[in-house]
Amino acid sequence: MARTSQTTRATAHKVGLKVPETALERVLVILSRYREASIAVVAVVLVVYFQLGSSGAFLSPQELSVVLRDTGRFGLIAVAEVMLMITGEIDLSVGSTFSLAPYVMVLMSIGWGVPLAVSALAGLLLGVLIGVVNGIITVRFRVPSLITTVGTFFLLQGVVVSIYNSQPIVAPVQEPFNEIFGENLLSPADSIWSWHGLTAFTPFLWTVLVVAAMALVLNRTTFGLHTIATGSNIVGAQEIGVRTDRIKVYNFMIAGAFAAAAGVINTTQFASADPLAGGPFLTLQAIAAAVIGGTSLLGGSGTPVGALLGAFVVATLNNGLVMMGAQATVSDIYLGAAIVLAMILNVAVDRMRARRHV
Amino acid sequence: MNHKDIPAVNPNTPVILEMNHINKSFGAVTALVDVSIKLRQGEVLALVGDNGAGKSTLIKILSGFHHPDSGTIIYQGKEVHFGSPRDARAHGIETVYQDLALIDDLSVYHNMFLGREYHKRILGLKLLDNAKMRDLAQTYLNTLGIEIPSVNSTVDLLSGGQRQSIAVARSIYSSPTILVLDEPLAALGVREGAHVLGLIQNLRRQRGVSIILIVHNYNQVFEVCDRINFLHSGEIVLDASTSETSEEELIRIVKSGLGRQAIAAAAAEIGTVTKPDI
Repeated sequence: MARTSQTTRATAHKVGLKVPETALERVLVILSRYREASIAVVAVVLVVYFQLGSSGAFLSPQELSVVLRDTGRFGLIAVAEVMLMITGEIDLSVGSTFSLAPYVMVLMSIGWGVPLAVSALAGLLLGVLIGVVNGIITVRFRVPSLITTVGTFFLLQGVVVSIYNSQPIVAPVQEPFNEIFGENLLSPADSIWSWHGLTAFTPFLWTVLVVAAMALVLNRTTFGLHTIATGSNIVGAQEIGVRTDRIKVYNFMIAGAFAAAAGVINTTQFASADPLAGGPFLTLQAIAAAVIGGTSLLGGSGTPVGALLGAFVVATLNNGLVMMGAQATVSDIYLGAAIVLAMILNVAVDRMRARRHV
Repeated sequence: MNHKDIPAVNPNTPVILEMNHINKSFGAVTALVDVSIKLRQGEVLALVGDNGAGKSTLIKILSGFHHPDSGTIIYQGKEVHFGSPRDARAHGIETVYQDLALIDDLSVYHNMFLGREYHKRILGLKLLDNAKMRDLAQTYLNTLGIEIPSVNSTVDLLSGGQRQSIAVARSIYSSPTILVLDEPLAALGVREGAHVLGLIQNLRRQRGVSIILIVHNYNQVFEVCDRINFLHSGEIVLDASTSETSEEELIRIVKSGLGRQAIAAAAAEIGTVTKPDI
């Protein structure tokens, strides 16, 4: 119990928890406690950089509505990946679910005349079902989820492009469905203080809502506690009676549902269901957002708020560089560097914790 | 296999648990062969034996983590089947595993209440009552005299002894009927070890908890246990009360891997003048 007696108390810093001494150590302590803090700093720095670099255009409502639309898209999928990554699993098939769910939604509405709200719900259920399949294959057949979901990624991508030979189909989007999910851009003529000024940000606001809900679920519910337990020490969790298989399957279902929801919102925005809207790039950007946001790939820790900040960083890099006149391809260089740096930082902080340096 | 019915606490003390003719294999590896154990109310039973003897497998069957290939468990007079650790816990059988089953990324109080969380309703949502769990954990650990820096810290920041104390504290929190401890003293220093032994003795004396203890240190066996079951290669080779055996005999059994009668028979055959020890 490392109880310090009177004689050893003077040298207490030699045993027990180390008190941070240097400035670097203090920074690392803060980073290990508040994972979101570091990425929030990065986000602010990027905004300032692009704001200055674009002579004040970046923080205009028009540009922000674009950045936040993308943040919403990445963030919704990233937060689902965070939950899965906390359990020690990953879902790479989200990029295909993102394309397939809204495609099925639009086909149902056009072909059978089903109201869009109902077919959207069917799309979400399809996402949940994909999650169940991914989950069952992973926990019952003990296939690593990395492999399971690469398989289902190609399978679902194949299904969606084969339906109409990769043709996008026009979505019959009507009000108020469009206002609630679809509007996303603010034209320079619009006032930010109008009703449209609010609905222009709906894709982002939905994601903020979901992130807040998932932060609550993760930190304040039994399900969240068991999700962390599953990823942190799966055998121990099983010994205590946590149903780890179920917890994993539920999180796969959440991932499928969120990917489908992001797809439905995206399709509503563009009034078109594109079989190639998602794809591998979207999956990886969402995972990048989660990782940049401070979620460990080893399981046991992660933050939904961090994922949202990570999504904002990814969206800012994509749009900001283009705005400053860079080629779209150049932004990938920055994104790649950001991911690698974030991982190095995450691993360093994890190691500090494991060695009890901080 | 010489299963003698030896009076433990008292011959009239009711038997609370019987595991009868338990067999268990993992693929090609046979872990337990026809093992039977009996536990009386308020008894401390030591399960000893070399590494790989099957001790942990046996208690993991009792705790619902493994399922026996054959054999029965009679608990409080009724045959029971534990489908999961949850089942066994619901019946009042708590287990402290060798790996402690602590979740490094969770706080001490979340670990204490994992699987039996307290909730409160806020706007109809069933949320964790963290304040309540924090207070209960703090109070309970104080009662047991377990010192840790803070119940808020994650358990990966605690020392081996602190972790072990938390695992023991968690298992006795719900006042179990049977407590199973897989090497509860393995990572402890002398002072901490004495403390945990004290906890165990108090549980038996004050609350009549029946305890199964896996131990390697024979000193400790004789200090707290009423009876000893010796497992060797998946079979019980000795079942004796602590007053009827000695450390020397245990060591002899470890070395030969034979039971008391087998050793006596072998000794007689060779014609050595070994005095059968009691």
